[in-house]
Amino acid sequence: MTPSLAPLIAAATADFAACADAPSLENAKAKYLGKTGAVTDLLKGMATLSPEEKKTRGAEINLAKDAIETALRARRDALAVEALNARLAAEAIDVTLPGRGKGPGGIHPVIRTWQRVEEIFASIGFDVADGPEIEADWFNFTALNNPPNHPARSMQDTFYVDMNGTDGLPLLLRTHTSPMQVRYARMHANEVTSTGRPIKVIAPGRTYRVDSDATHSPMFHQVEGLWIDENISFADLKGVYTDFLRRFFESDDLQVRFRPSYFPFTEPSAEIDMKFESGPLKGKWLEISGSGQVHPSVVRNFGLDPERYIGFAFGSGLERLTMLRYGIGDLRLFFEGDLRFLKQFA
Amino acid sequence: MQFSVSWLRSFCNPSLTTDELAHALTMAGLEVEEVTPAAPPFTGVVVGEILACEKHPNADKLSLCTVNVGRRAAAPLQIVCGAPNARAGIKIPCALVGAVLPPGADGQPFAIKPVKMRGVESNGMLCSARELGISSDHAGLLELDTQAPVGADIRDYLALNDSKFLIKLTPNKADCLSVYGVAREVHAITGAPLAPPPSGEVKTTLTDVLPVKVLAPDLCGRFAGRVLRGVDAKAPTPAWMRERLEKSGQRSISALVDISNYVMLELGRPTHVFDLDRVQGKLEVRWGKTGETLKLLNGNTVSLDEEVGVIADDRAVESLAGIMGGDSTAVSLDTKNVYVEAAFWHPTAIQGRARRFNFSTDAGHRFERGVDWASIPAHLDRLCALILDICGGQAGPLDDQTINVPERKPVTMRVARAQRVIGVPVTADDMASIFTRLGLTHRRTAETFIVTPPSYRFDIEIEEDLIEEIARIHGFDNIPARPPVARAAMHAKRESTRSLHELRAAVAAADYFETINYSFVDERWERELLGNANPIQLLNPIASQMAVMRTSLIPGLLASIQYNASHKADRVRVFELGKVFLRDPSVTDGELAVAGIAQPLRLAGAAWGGPVAEQWASGKRAVDFFDVKADLLALLPAGAKFSVAEHPLLHPGRSARISIGGVPLGWLGELHPRHLAAFELTAAPVVFELDVAPLQQRPVPVHLPVSKQPLVRRDIALVVAHAVPSEALTASLHEAAPPFVRAVEVFDVYRGAGLPEGKKSVAIRVLMQDTERTLADNEIEGACQRMLDHVQQQHGATLRA
Repeated sequence: MTPSLAPLIAAATADFAACADAPSLENAKAKYLGKTGAVTDLLKGMATLSPEEKKTRGAEINLAKDAIETALRARRDALAVEALNARLAAEAIDVTLPGRGKGPGGIHPVIRTWQRVEEIFASIGFDVADGPEIEADWFNFTALNNPPNHPARSMQDTFYVDMNGTDGLPLLLRTHTSPMQVRYARMHANEVTSTGRPIKVIAPGRTYRVDSDATHSPMFHQVEGLWIDENISFADLKGVYTDFLRRFFESDDLQVRFRPSYFPFTEPSAEIDMKFESGPLKGKWLEISGSGQVHPSVVRNFGLDPERYIGFAFGSGLERLTMLRYGIGDLRLFFEGDLRFLKQFA
Repeated sequence: MQFSVSWLRSFCNPSLTTDELAHALTMAGLEVEEVTPAAPPFTGVVVGEILACEKHPNADKLSLCTVNVGRRAAAPLQIVCGAPNARAGIKIPCALVGAVLPPGADGQPFAIKPVKMRGVESNGMLCSARELGISSDHAGLLELDTQAPVGADIRDYLALNDSKFLIKLTPNKADCLSVYGVAREVHAITGAPLAPPPSGEVKTTLTDVLPVKVLAPDLCGRFAGRVLRGVDAKAPTPAWMRERLEKSGQRSISALVDISNYVMLELGRPTHVFDLDRVQGKLEVRWGKTGETLKLLNGNTVSLDEEVGVIADDRAVESLAGIMGGDSTAVSLDTKNVYVEAAFWHPTAIQGRARRFNFSTDAGHRFERGVDWASIPAHLDRLCALILDICGGQAGPLDDQTINVPERKPVTMRVARAQRVIGVPVTADDMASIFTRLGLTHRRTAETFIVTPPSYRFDIEIEEDLIEEIARIHGFDNIPARPPVARAAMHAKRESTRSLHELRAAVAAADYFETINYSFVDERWERELLGNANPIQLLNPIASQMAVMRTSLIPGLLASIQYNASHKADRVRVFELGKVFLRDPSVTDGELAVAGIAQPLRLAGAAWGGPVAEQWASGKRAVDFFDVKADLLALLPAGAKFSVAEHPLLHPGRSARISIGGVPLGWLGELHPRHLAAFELTAAPVVFELDVAPLQQRPVPVHLPVSKQPLVRRDIALVVAHAVPSEALTASLHEAAPPFVRAVEVFDVYRGAGLPEGKKSVAIRVLMQDTERTLADNEIEGACQRMLDHVQQQHGATLRA
């Protein structure tokens, strides 16, 4: 290339670089590559040259034109990137601001426990039962081997309502979840005898007792468990409930002890205590459940033959499990509906 | 039941520490709730005798005592004392120099040093019961028995190195309602030897008999009594008896009362002592009569009837059988002659009786659980011997009538059944040894035990009762925790049913917090908020604002809003899933139903404050009907209808009944402004309440092919009267629509300029698509025209220009 064209290329490159936006770049382009532009002028100037010179000169001019076009494209791309960057910068937001719209609500901690208990027992094939909260005397007491005037009735102070059952006895608010096990077992007794399918059920729900102080609420929740088959023993009860507590508290070094007690509906009966090996409650035996082998009279009231069918039942307080699980110290918090409390379980 | 450990050990004394003994009892089913020392630790306190007591020369309220402490000091000590009862001749606890007393109010142990008090030397301290930590009595010095040995360590003399057990007994353990009964258990658990039960010998020197006629054999099975004459009711209760009573939590009252209480604690035998001179004629044991009354020992007067057993004399009822004696024949300090009685009352004749009168007694507590009938004469002898020994006097013959005592039927226990129920192979020999230790006489065959329960056991009637005894004494700790082996059966939930937990999670996901409110509410809520004049009432509510069963969950949620608003919350969204309780005569007894009462599960929610939490990106406004309606549409099954309807709780122009397939499902609306004040609110919450059962239904999806044909959209704006619900318009359009109309949806509503007064414009989008072919223009226009004609006819709708 003759040096004469190098300044032209340099001038074009400089002009392009000086353009700050697309329109001015197009104007600059016209100055070199347009109909009246410098390159066009050079081509026009070739008319006077000999064919030999034309060939050489033409090649030189084409090279210069390519160089100028390359410079133009480079500048165009650069301007496009700049423009995009400017737009992106202008569109930037404060990503640390909160999101718009609703937040998540939450499930009540006692219900959270209820659900976890259901899931743990479902994993070994337990069904879930429900039943009425205003109950007949027979289901709440008599069917459970606790006839009228029995001293064991004073163990549970009962709320009565202003209606009588069809047996003439006043209806009551169930004092425990046990009536649900009676109802469920009666509904399934035929299936047990005809198909050999065991009764394996838990029955969580609200329960009521005339009791109100710092550690008792007149309404609370229990979960009842029942497993009846031909050979379900007290040792099985120990196995199942111990395993349950370890799964519920997600701790294998939890200690569990069974201590003789009395309930009209089980025999032998056991109070279940547990002890944490670490944490704030470490080393203290905590009462967690009542349990035992279902009393033969109760099995008979299920509609089953107690000679053939045996098994265990247990009843645990859901509030108690919840308090121990999450370190809640005051029972009343569960029933106040205080969002500052409930939001901790969202 | 509470008693001292030393008393228990006097009958059965295993080589276990106090804590080990407590643990052993607990693990055998006699839960030791508390172990408390009889006194806190202290040293250097001995029995002292005040030889002389003079006024302090420099202080009015202090006295100067000369105290004999026997061999504890070379000479009597000079001690300054401020107690009002300090006087010569009494024996008192004396803390010597060097003694360390229990911590006082400052929490520091108190060391006794020689001091000068108001210029006079004092070498020790005379103590009150509180200063020794024995009781809270601080009225003066603790006065000891005049026989107390001077110089003896007070801890030994008052047996203060003792502990007290508080045992929580289950209702079946009637046989353990005495120290001796607990000792029997200790023997069974540990095998340590058991002393024979305490007894007494009574020399009969009189011939007096008080005639007693038992007229009710279903009330009283055995009745025994003795006349004692010439007793000194003023005689002091001996220190050893007082100490045991006090450690059992019983205050000493008078010798006769104390002795009766003592025998009840010792042997579990309630007895009654009548003042013989106040008994008129003879006694009869019978059921009460309506109209009779009795003034009890505690001063209360009760009205009697045929359900309550009594002991009466010729004049009136004198005692509530097995529960409490009467006032008119009660012993006093002036009593000279007494009649002591012990009886067997049938548990069913006593159960629930004291509760009817709203009190309980130690005697009633025992009789309703069952008290041994066989040992009545022996126990009465023990009682009489103690009375004669302590109060003096002479005894008449024992008059003992057995009328109708229970029969103890032998109970058979199969070894194999016991092993099956317990789950471990306890051997038959081990079982035999357990029965022997429990004092259960038994016969053994190859595979069974036949046990005849003793008369003091009221809890052995069936095989399981014996299995329980085997398990209990074998030790629950010795039964392994075994993971059960069971046939594996799959247990899947139905896909077409949504669980309550899934439902709750869906509501929570819409920014509601779950609450749990009481099922019993204020009767005013039911009446004033819900227009329910006849809610189900509790017969024994704990408070008037918890007196009736709720028929709606909403008032509880409103109270939650009120509670949180009063704690500075500006936005509250809560829900509850629970039962409500409705009188419903159509409900009959069923598998899951109680006649006369419907108990459906409901889901209710309430939203108050902004539709979203106050924040930078959203304008501030109050949550409204449509915000909550959108939440509900996400929950409700397809096809749910909202229709104009009124509810006492809700704003009449802003409430809707929700139904599906014509079946009512619940309500949505804004709280009626007249109820705002009751919950201290200024802005109205939007509330809803739905029946849960239909919400749980969730049809299994059925796939339909997606059309490949083009979708056609036509927007139409209809001008109608304000009162016409938009859903009526879409329904009307639907009625006239050919099958290729896929959707008819409202997308805008306008009221205002450009429209005639009382009219609104509703913009509706009609989406059309055939599954097979492209729709022709004339089909589309024809369909639109037919739909428009129909809606015009039904609702007077015109097309907006």
